[in-house]
Formats: sequence, structure tokens, C-alpha cells
Amino acid sequence: MKQKDIKVLLIDDEVALANTLAQRLKMRDFKVGTAYDGEQALSKLKEEEPDVIVLDLKMPGMHGMEVLQEIKKAHPDIQVIILTGHGTDKDEEDAKRLGGFDFLKKPADIETLEHKIKAAFKEKMERTLSTIAFAEKGEFNTIQQKNNEE
Amino acid sequence: MEYDEERDLRVSQLSFIGNILAGFTHEIKNYIAIIKESAGLMGDMIKLGKKSKNEPQEYLEIIHSIEEQIEKTNDLFRYLNRFSHRMDNELSTFNVNETMEELIALLTRAANQRKISIEKDFQKDILPMNNNPSMLQFLVFHFLEEKITKLDKNSRLIIKTESANGSTVIRIIPKGNLLDADKEKGYLPYEIQDKVVRQLGGNISQEKEETVIKIPITDI
Repeated sequence: MKQKDIKVLLIDDEVALANTLAQRLKMRDFKVGTAYDGEQALSKLKEEEPDVIVLDLKMPGMHGMEVLQEIKKAHPDIQVIILTGHGTDKDEEDAKRLGGFDFLKKPADIETLEHKIKAAFKEKMERTLSTIAFAEKGEFNTIQQKNNEE
Repeated sequence: MEYDEERDLRVSQLSFIGNILAGFTHEIKNYIAIIKESAGLMGDMIKLGKKSKNEPQEYLEIIHSIEEQIEKTNDLFRYLNRFSHRMDNELSTFNVNETMEELIALLTRAANQRKISIEKDFQKDILPMNNNPSMLQFLVFHFLEEKITKLDKNSRLIIKTESANGSTVIRIIPKGNLLDADKEKGYLPYEIQDKVVRQLGGNISQEKEETVIKIPITDI
């Protein structure tokens, strides 16, 4: 899998920041979309599922933690990186407990963010492959059991 | 344990200053993040980008974005500086519109988080006051914060100032649904509210949904 196959959704109410960061990631060959609040982001997820989400915490309307919870409920495979100017240690703990992949503070170094996105994508792929292998194994065992009973 | 009004007031004041600073730092961090990413983008365009006819224009747009953020940062520092110096002297002569402007600048982000817009309706030629500006800001802040917390999304909060009958009148007017409308108290305990208003020589009243603070204009 190449970097250009990695789909990223940036969710941040600071439009200028989201758009500039999106441009920088696109120049690094990621496929990048943007959303400027939680409701817009969840709506976009119904149309197309990204591999990795970069999510701000303090946004108007839905708080980032609430968005994270909704994402993990409906799309457990998507890996979420929190990128916030506000985060406390407790926020980091809460985010990880809710299934967040990583927690970065603004302003983040672009190389660090790039590295984290690739790591999050790798995690997603490993979990997906592991789920497929488990499902196949389970199917095989059921067939074996049936054959033994006959 | 005896109720220590003075100690509770000081704790509330420190909490107020902490809230203001937290809001300020969050706002500044966002502006700095935008400046950093914009500068980084220019660097990327030089190191990684493909040449395009529009390149000079793209660079100019990024430079303009950086200048905009720097201006916003400067404005916020200016408000914070003014706010800080309000505490230099217990009594001073000041323009109440300016003190309210500082609070609005430092509370705007919190209001935006809840999709609430704060509007100014200031009397332009309002008479200067001779009083404790920091204490006045402390009092008004709590009423604003309470309304911001209780108003429904997409509501408005109007701050109106006027000189009337020898007093400066500050009205805090919520326009929208108030959640928990039956619990119309400020987050500041009543005893502290009362102590502060007495120190300012004024009074607070509720006129339907409006909170009205009246402070006498002392002869300068």
C-alpha cells in the first residue's frame, strides 16, 4: 500500500488551519478531506469512510470527544488521531479509553503527523487482516465440526 | 467553619483570571498553529511542489493568511494587556465600553464553541466612570459566562451600555432559549455577587430575562 492510498479526514473548526494542513498532507501524497465541525464530519463518513481521522477537540457544537465516540461506534476500524491546542493529560487518557489511536498537541510538526498517520493506517490494516483471518479460521472450524459429526 | 467572604472572593477572582488566561492561550495557540502551517506550506511548495503559473499568487495568499493571523494575535494581546492593567489600581477613571470590549474579546471563543454570538450595543458617548474596573469586569464576566452556558445553540447575547440618571447601566440581554431557565442564578455565589456590587456602590436587578447592573457615575 502506498501513501497515496491512505485516505485522511481532517476535522477542525479553524478553517484556515484545516485547509492549510490538508494542502500540506496532499503534497505528501495523502488523499485528504476536511470537515469543520462534528456534525459535518459524521455526515461525510456516511458517504465515504477514511482510513485515518485527525480530530480537534474543542469545536462548536459537538465536542471532539463526542465525535470520537460516535466514530468508534459506527466505524470501529477508522483510526483517530487527536490534534488539539487544548489537551490535558485527562483528555489524552479519555481519548485513548474511547479508542483514539494517538494524541498530539498543536502546533504539531508535519513530519510527526505524517508518521502518526502512517502508523495509524498500519494499525488499521493489521486489525482488518486479523479480523479476516479470524473469520476465515472460524468458518473453517465450523466446516470441520460439521464434517466430524457426519 | 466561619464563612470567609473575603477568602471566597479572592478564590473566585483567581478562578476568573485563570479562565480568562486559559481562553486567551487556546485562542493564541490556534493562530500560531495557522502561522506555522502556512509557513510550512510555503516551504513545502519550494521543496516539494510542482511549479505552476499561479505560484506567485499562491505565495501571496499564504503571506496574506499569515499577516491576518498575526493581526488577530496582536489584537488579542492588546486586549489582554489592557485587561491586565485594569488591576493596577483599585480606583481609576475608565470607559466602561472598553472594559466590556476586553471581556467580549476574551470570551468570544467560549461563546463560539456553543454557537452563540455576542453583540455590542454600546452608547457611543458614554460618560467615563471612576470606580474599580477589574471588579466590574469580574462581576459582568460571571453573568456572561452563566448566560453562555445556559443559552441554546445559535442564540445571541447582547451587552448594552448606557449612561442614565447619574449611573452607568450595563444590560446583559439573552436572545434565545435558556436551558434550565428555572435556575436563573449566576455561577458566582450570591454572597460574593452582593459583596462585589456593594463595593462598586451599585445594584443588580433582573428585568425578565435581562440582567441589569447599575453603577453610579462618581463625579471626577
